[in-house]
Order: sequence, then structure tokens, then C-alpha cells
Amino acid sequence: MAHISIENLTVEFAIFGANSRSLKNQLLSQATGGRVMSGIRDVVTVRAIDGLNLEINDGDRVGLIGHNGSGKTTLLRVIAGIYKPSGGALTIEGRVGALLDPTSGMDAESTGIQNIYLRGYMLGMSRREIASKLDEIADFAELGDFIELPMRTYSAGMFARLAFAVSTAAQKDILLIDEGIGAGDAGFRKKAQRRIESLFDRTPIVILASHSESLISEFCSRRVLMQHGLLQSAS
Amino acid sequence: MTTAAHSRQKAPVVRISAEAVPKQAFADLLNGVRLQALWTRLAFHDVRQWFRRSVLGPFWLTLSMGTMVATLGIVFSSLFQQDLAKTLPYIATGIIFWGLLTGCINEGATVFISAEAFIRNVPTPLNLHFYRMMARNVMIWGFNMAIYVVILIYFELLPGWNMLLFIPGFLLFLINVAWISLAAGVLSTRYRDIPQIIANLIQVVFFLTPIFWSPANLPTRPAFVTLNSFYHLIEIVRAPLLSVAPPWMSCVLCVGMAVAGLGFTAYLYRRAHSRIAYWV
Repeated sequence: MAHISIENLTVEFAIFGANSRSLKNQLLSQATGGRVMSGIRDVVTVRAIDGLNLEINDGDRVGLIGHNGSGKTTLLRVIAGIYKPSGGALTIEGRVGALLDPTSGMDAESTGIQNIYLRGYMLGMSRREIASKLDEIADFAELGDFIELPMRTYSAGMFARLAFAVSTAAQKDILLIDEGIGAGDAGFRKKAQRRIESLFDRTPIVILASHSESLISEFCSRRVLMQHGLLQSAS
Repeated sequence: MTTAAHSRQKAPVVRISAEAVPKQAFADLLNGVRLQALWTRLAFHDVRQWFRRSVLGPFWLTLSMGTMVATLGIVFSSLFQQDLAKTLPYIATGIIFWGLLTGCINEGATVFISAEAFIRNVPTPLNLHFYRMMARNVMIWGFNMAIYVVILIYFELLPGWNMLLFIPGFLLFLINVAWISLAAGVLSTRYRDIPQIIANLIQVVFFLTPIFWSPANLPTRPAFVTLNSFYHLIEIVRAPLLSVAPPWMSCVLCVGMAVAGLGFTAYLYRRAHSRIAYWV
């Protein structure tokens, strides 16, 4: 059973501006006793998530909402294991798949087929798993013979369709999606919709961060509102 | 069907707590090693990608390095009035391993910075990028080693038993290169001046290190040779390939450096690994 339990999670990170990131400033601040260059060691710390508690159960479709900078993406990254918590803990049962950037891993100079592999690896799929889904992905992306050509020859729509087709092929227990997924023209959008639905149906937990009210109300059974790193309301 | 089998598997349980974060540093390093199939494939992809659509492909590496070796060989053998059959293998091995050493350190310094988009969006062990970089450089080294083989054949140099010492020597060399590169990567991600410092230092050290010149030509050994750890690193792989046993002094120093360096890098990685995703 997939399950996520978040206890008192806090995420803080230091922002290094032009000021404090360079070695010179750190050395100078040592040399000058921190008097002349005072202030440069003051690193701005951002508390992106502040004491968050949340239980997500098998079957939950969580819509994460909130303003820009409210900590939605940060939370997804913590669940994905990319950002480490600075306080609290989380327990995750199930294999996590992240669609934070549907194109990461892809390479314009490589062919469509190669890109299916490259993107698939980034989604944590094995070579064999990708090979077994290769035809289905290529079919779905409607690329025809273009699948054998380098991706830089693709139109923006073709590129988006391919990225979408691979990204939605992975099978995971927990799926993290940032800003929704979708691609292409009106005809394709219907197909894409069905594919997302079938992906959601076979995935025990989906967490979707989005600004789109319609997307959230269509796909999600729970909504979690975040504000300034705090959990505002959860249903 | 694989997917069905997958979904029937028991789901893994992971607990990530703030207190346990430093302890996960080593798990992260080991998890990266386990993805060996993935990073070798990605490294292979990188090498192929650089030379896509060129006729010679990665053999351009061999060719350009070969030209450099030949030129330096001819210049220095006439400058020091030495036999080309002696100078050329020396310079070739020196430059090939110097290339591997500095390639890893230079690219190591930017290994996390340049993988920013990956690190922020793809959940993989961080050091996947590091292993990928190392694997890529070793592959390039493989292409360069063709020059050495050609020289052996051309000058009809007979391989001796001492060549077997190359295997432990190369391992020791790689271990040292690995910790230097990883330390450079972690420090550079935090302090953005370090990649520039490293690039500049490497240029200087190239001239200080006996690579295209031999300390045998000097009446006494200057301190910048005997105390130069890069010299010893090169020596433990170059000497066996020239059918000479590497000096004891170099072997001992390199083992010592590996132990101290691994300890230092482990400490650094333990402290910093959880911050790298924020720093990039």
C-alpha cells in the first residue's frame, strides 16, 4: 500500500547572492574581522516549508494549491528525495516517480528512439522496461518516421508529444506532477486526457501541484492549500 | 508482463528525517555505484554525442592528441638531443594520463553546477553525475591509449613484466583522481570561484610536472618535482607502461594520498551532500 506520512517537516535553505557566494568575500571577512565587510556573512535563509504535517493515503489524488513561492514545488522535491529536510521527517511507502520537468534528460541531437530511452532512464525505468513500451510510446506520440530522426528536426508540438508520451509511460506507486502535464493540439489533447486518466487510475497516489482550478477539480479528490510554506488548509 | 510484476512487488519504505540526513551521504554514494549500467550508458551517449555527424567520430580525440604527442616528441627529442624512441613513449604516456587527470578535475569542478536542471528535477542519487563524468573521461582515455599502442608497435618496444604493475597503479591513480574531482565538485558548487582557480592552477602545474620533460635530464631533482603529488600520480601509471617499476616513494605517497584524500572527501560529502541540491 502506498502511503506518505509527513511529520513536522521544515525545509530551509540559504540564498547566496552575488555577495556571499564567492570565496573572496569569505576570506576577506575573515581578514577584516568582519568589521569593514560586515553583512556579507549574513546569508539570507528562506524557510520554504514550515512545520508541515500531512498524511496521504493509498487512493488519494492530492491537488496542491497556493501562490507562487508558497512551497508547492519544494514539497514535491522533498517527497522526491531531491531536497533534504532541515527539520522533521517523512516516511514514504512506494516507488516515487517525479514529473517535475517533463523534458529533463532529453537531448535535441539524439533521435526520437534514443530520447525515449534517455527520458525513460530519468524516470527510473530499466532498459528492458523501456524496450517493452517503445512501440506503444512511439505510436502514441504520432511521430511516424520522425522517430528515427534527431529531435532538433521536430516541431514544438512533436517534441511536446514525445516528452508527454514517455513521461506518462512509467509505472510508479506515487506520482508527483508539477504544473500539470499535457501537450499538443485539440485532437491530441483528447487522447492525452485519456492517457492521463489511465495513468492516474493505475497509480495509487498522485500529487499534482497546479494553479489551474479546473485541473485540480477534475483530477483531484483532496486539496491542500499552502501559503508561505505553511499548510493553510487540507481536505 | 513486467509492469504487472512491478505492481505486485512490495513497496519500498523510505524514511527521510532531518537527523539522519548526514548518514545518508554514504548510502547516496553506494546507490550511485549501483546505477553503474545507467551512468556508463549516459557517458557513452555523451562521447558519441560530441562527435555526432563527424566522419572520424571519437577518433578525433585520438588524432588531436596524437598530433600533439608527435609534435612535442619531435621538438623535445631534438631539443634535448635524445632518441625519439625514448622520448615519444614517455611524452605520450605522460600527456595521455595528464589529460585524464585534468579532464576529471576540471569537469569534476562543474559536475554538479552543470547538472543543475537534472539535480532539481530528477530524483537520482546526486553522484550519478559524478560517476557519469568519470566514466566519460575514462572512455576518452581509452581512445587516447590507442596512441600508446601505435607507438609500442612502431618502435617495436617489447612489453616487460613490469607492465603488469600498471593495473594496481591505474586503480590507485583513479582512486586519487576520483576524490580530488568529487571534492572539487562539492567545493565549487558552494564557492563559484573554485572552478576558475582550479583551471588556472592546472595550467601552471602542467609546466611544473615532468610530463613533456624528464627529471632525468636535470642534475638534481628540484623540490617542485619531489614534492609534486601530480608527478607521483603520473609516475605510478607511466613507469609501468614504459616497462619500468614505479619508484617506491611514488607508490607510498599515492597510497597515503588516497587514504587521506578519501577521508577528507568523505567528511566533506557527508557535511555537504544534502545541501548540493540547494546550492546548484
